[in-house]
Amino acid sequence: MIKSFFRKQDNWTIIGLLVTLFVMVVLFSVLSPYFLSTRNALNIGQAISIRGLMAIGLTIVMISGGLDLSIAAAAAVSGMIAASLINAEVHGTTAGLAALLGAAVLGSINSFVIVKLRINPIIATLGTLLLFRGLAFVVSGGDNVVIGVNTWSILGRGFYMGLPVSLIVYLVVLVLGMIFMRFTILGNYVYAIGGNTVACRNVGIHVDRVRSGTYIFSAMIAGLAGLAIMSQAGTAMPSAMNGAELDIIAAVLLGGIALTGGRGTLFGTFLGTLIIGVINNGLILTGVPVYWQMVVRGLILIAAVALDSFRRGGGYR
Amino acid sequence: MQPIISMRNVSKAFGHVQALVDIDLDIYHGEVLGLLGDNGAGKSTLIKILSGVYSADEGEFIYEGKPAKIENPNGAQALGIATVYQDLSLVDTRPVAHNIFLGREPRKWGLILDRRRMEHDAKDLLEQLNINLPSVTVDVEVLSGGQRQAVAVSRAIAQGGDLLLLDEPTAALGVEQTEQVHQLMEDMKARGTAIILITHDLSGILDITDKIAVLRQGRLWAYAKSSSTTQNQIIGWITGALPSQIQEESGLT
Repeated sequence: MIKSFFRKQDNWTIIGLLVTLFVMVVLFSVLSPYFLSTRNALNIGQAISIRGLMAIGLTIVMISGGLDLSIAAAAAVSGMIAASLINAEVHGTTAGLAALLGAAVLGSINSFVIVKLRINPIIATLGTLLLFRGLAFVVSGGDNVVIGVNTWSILGRGFYMGLPVSLIVYLVVLVLGMIFMRFTILGNYVYAIGGNTVACRNVGIHVDRVRSGTYIFSAMIAGLAGLAIMSQAGTAMPSAMNGAELDIIAAVLLGGIALTGGRGTLFGTFLGTLIIGVINNGLILTGVPVYWQMVVRGLILIAAVALDSFRRGGGYR
Repeated sequence: MQPIISMRNVSKAFGHVQALVDIDLDIYHGEVLGLLGDNGAGKSTLIKILSGVYSADEGEFIYEGKPAKIENPNGAQALGIATVYQDLSLVDTRPVAHNIFLGREPRKWGLILDRRRMEHDAKDLLEQLNINLPSVTVDVEVLSGGQRQAVAVSRAIAQGGDLLLLDEPTAALGVEQTEQVHQLMEDMKARGTAIILITHDLSGILDITDKIAVLRQGRLWAYAKSSSTTQNQIIGWITGALPSQIQEESGLT
């Protein structure tokens, strides 16, 4: 009875996340006098914006039933392209667009391997993770490409109307993504394909095209995040965001996106990202050693996903 | 009277396996054709060719008197062929209305899903078909077997098909729900829709069909009017105990 009541309600995921967030905020507010302030809220906002961006692309890929492990590597390549072009005195906007185009090419490689060659997305993007990361090192000869502080710094460091520019970019993309997934035909197809690919093929939906699109979009969003990282550091690093893909996947799973596809919302991903951002921030403010932060994040992820699958009455069998 | 669809010499092979050999069939408006045969006889292959999932290696189709090609599911739908697959092809994680209009959702400004109209139309359609569901906004995964079948049939009907392909529509259903599906078929027939029914369930098959086609090892083994056929004959054809028999008066020329 209770089980069947809970099963249907995806909204319970959101409510659970909101409660978790609330508890974290109260807890850290009590533990640290610095936590509950506008300044700190903006810090958290800026800190989550870059990973949050990548989480948006990954969420859409995962809702369609796929996975993209190559996002962080794609971000590094994109930053590298832009920085190299800027140093070659190419106009900033052109360099940025070229970097996004480069990211789109990386996304096309993913979609070709997954959709055309029909390689399992975990294996395929594990391969392209190494491929893209390797390219970033090859192009730069392993060195960082320094662009210094210039007009580009706005994206990563600037403020507009009191808000970090990267946070604004993140929130805009997030809202556009939510509108896309909820209201457009294509967004609905992403859900449907994740739910039952064969059924979608049977009714003539262009499944391969939609799936390819999700990987290209994911890579481009990662490219945008890569530009923000480069801008923030004033440097494009071939090792930028190394290993961040796992953190991002953790945030997405925490937000209620199913590995099997078809379920979850971008709002859930946003809450998952925010919770992890709050925890990271709170642990720093309360002086918890940095290695323990990883432990805590791991525990929270397992707890959250276990709770969610238990509530759905299923789980891994 | 002109058949809604005529197939001539339709063949299909998968590698070395000859799934269908020179199939000739005619189906008329307002007619229920029972497509029977043992496992692997070629029933599902034939349905998938008609619905555009597979394409035939050889053979021709005449739809409403005109030569037609069925190259993909969209092409089949455009002709007016609607299919209810054995696995129902439902997206469990999506609501009823989304499933009924999957792939042909009402749109606003080209790109936007007209959710309100879709839910309204879905409700209307279910009412028309006397199908009772808790709501068109619940996910399909919470529905019972019969309700899921009803959603799948509703989708086929929403496609506006003149030719409905039903693949084992009552396989997973209880007695009462089976009766509901048969009633649904009667209603469709009365509206002039032609139905091809694939089934393993031979009980009552002669009552709900007008004609019977039996496939055996990829060939059309028997083709007969239901009114002049007995249950034992059908079993004999399916098992091969009776020789092949294509009745002249069944309309096949």
